[in-house]
Amino acid sequence: MRLPGTRYQEHGWEQVRKLLGQCSLQTFRQIDLLQVLDPAQHMPLLDDYTDAVAAHLRAAEKSARAEAAGNSYGDSVHELAMSLLFELRAQPSFWQGFVAVLAADHARSGTFWLDAGADGMLRKKINDMYASLRDKVDADNYIVATGRDCSPNKIYTYRMLDTAYREIAGLFAAWQQHLPQVGAILGREVGALPIEVRQMKAIGGCKAEWIIRWSETLEQFSGAPGPLHTRSKRFASLKNSPDKIGAMLSEIGDYEELSSNMDRGDDWLGDAGEAALWMEDYWRVIGESEQRGAQPGVADQILPPPEEEGVEYPLDGTNDQGDDAADPVAAPAEPPRSAEHLAEEQAVAAALSLPPNYLQVARAAQDAGSWTLRVLGSESLPIRLAVYHKLLGPADDSYPDAWLDPATGELPTLQQLAALDQISMPTMRKRRNEAIDKLYAANGMRPARAAS
Amino acid sequence: MKENELNSDQNPGQGGDALDARLRERLLLSRAVPGDRLMLADAILLAALDGSRVLTPNERTALEQSPLTLRRFRHLALERRSMQQAASEAANDPVWAGSTGMLRAASSTTALAQLVTDDNCWTLHFLPEGEGWQVILTLSADAPYAARLLREQPLLRVVDGGGAIVLQGRLDADGECERAWPFSTVPAAHFQLYGASFAVEPVAP
Repeated sequence: MRLPGTRYQEHGWEQVRKLLGQCSLQTFRQIDLLQVLDPAQHMPLLDDYTDAVAAHLRAAEKSARAEAAGNSYGDSVHELAMSLLFELRAQPSFWQGFVAVLAADHARSGTFWLDAGADGMLRKKINDMYASLRDKVDADNYIVATGRDCSPNKIYTYRMLDTAYREIAGLFAAWQQHLPQVGAILGREVGALPIEVRQMKAIGGCKAEWIIRWSETLEQFSGAPGPLHTRSKRFASLKNSPDKIGAMLSEIGDYEELSSNMDRGDDWLGDAGEAALWMEDYWRVIGESEQRGAQPGVADQILPPPEEEGVEYPLDGTNDQGDDAADPVAAPAEPPRSAEHLAEEQAVAAALSLPPNYLQVARAAQDAGSWTLRVLGSESLPIRLAVYHKLLGPADDSYPDAWLDPATGELPTLQQLAALDQISMPTMRKRRNEAIDKLYAANGMRPARAAS
Repeated sequence: MKENELNSDQNPGQGGDALDARLRERLLLSRAVPGDRLMLADAILLAALDGSRVLTPNERTALEQSPLTLRRFRHLALERRSMQQAASEAANDPVWAGSTGMLRAASSTTALAQLVTDDNCWTLHFLPEGEGWQVILTLSADAPYAARLLREQPLLRVVDGGGAIVLQGRLDADGECERAWPFSTVPAAHFQLYGASFAVEPVAP
């Protein structure tokens, strides 16, 4: 199924899910899951988890599964898995939910994850986390692409209707073997080839009444109740709203037709040049508003919350930053480095298989007028690189060449950066995360709850 | 934001600015904001973008604190920019009102292979075909108005010095239009009979 902006709703999803499951299981063999019992460890654990899964994903990048098409916009399974992993960092409530489930299971049955055959259970929980995350991400993508409201529930409903259409199309294709069921769907006796069977060429041609009657009579033909007629209230209201079903079916159909010759969806992680373009507009719009200040007689036009209740996501209380963000000040000049210091740096770099003068060259490649350097002027270069590593990933078109490890064409790994800074990994992570908090504060952003 | 102070002359180039922009974009868009939703309608965002209505302080705060609304803003801002660019490209494409050319040499003895307009943008090729001839009108890719004509595909005609239509039709995607030579005289003799000149012109709708 394709909808505006969505990326995780096509057949390739199955493989994305499996790849993330496989890499997650590998990761859970490396990290101590008992940490889920300590809420203070949940966010550091997410860091460990995402770093390790990213490494496993990269190692599996050339496998047949990873290289397969993940959607019809040209994203591979590997690319979709990577970007969903990135989304998990941006939406940590899904991780919190996952960890809470593990902790609850531990309360009942101890370290079940060490049991033989626990992989299946773990995999199921991992699947659940990513399945709800992908619908949340795609609902947001849909909103961004269309300006219309959406929710994970609505994405789920679109998908249910798409699946129902495919089931009906399958029955229509083999109508001779399914005469009574096709008759039940069409609501009349079927003798010869029904005209509807020939006319329904795509989802846009599927009638809402057929979906409702298919669901209503499914139990009678297959033993299991149809999705609109289960005991769960999920789609209960939908079965009385053929108009709503019809509108959703034709929306899927219209977009599939429109997008069938499109090569790429809207990708908000998009290319480097775009960031500067729209941010220029952003600062201008914000600046004009700040300059104008209060506008007597102009009413606020803020949208009311949408009516539909979305799936409840656990609140994430870990990212409070408070309001007392320090104003960015000019970056202190880099302290001069002694010959002795440089020699030491070179020895460390060489031990890490980096060019001996890596730090020197990388330092020179920093943009002295850069906003980031001003905010993070008091941090070491390896910490700053670790910030880029975390926020933009190991490779990005906008990195100066001098920052890259010539062996990989990417930034040094977090381990290498920690070694360059001669600090431990946990200290590196801690300082990096503090630096990221500083950037958020300096970028003028506070958590939504701070708003009145 | 103290954005303007950052426009320092010492910047080594666009690279650093682009990296800054990229990082700040990521900071803006990838924050976890529980319960985030669309806070401003497209109309409000578009009016702020084109300057016709400035955001109120509360709306500004709503935009700043909602990554989802910011992403919609980003989408609209980029869409608006690409539309502006397309519009300005279209406006800058030179308009073409017609081109003329002459039969250069007294080439009655050798068969005429081609004629070129004075602006070098159009060529008429003549190919013998069975008993008669084919005539092919070709637009040079270097013509300043090539993009506009290929996009708009207007109806074109070629007339001889006497005003008779030699060829009429629309360019294909390669910038060509091929027709059978409509006269009984061979091309060189025909143009000599009719003023030794020709013109390519748009047909008024």
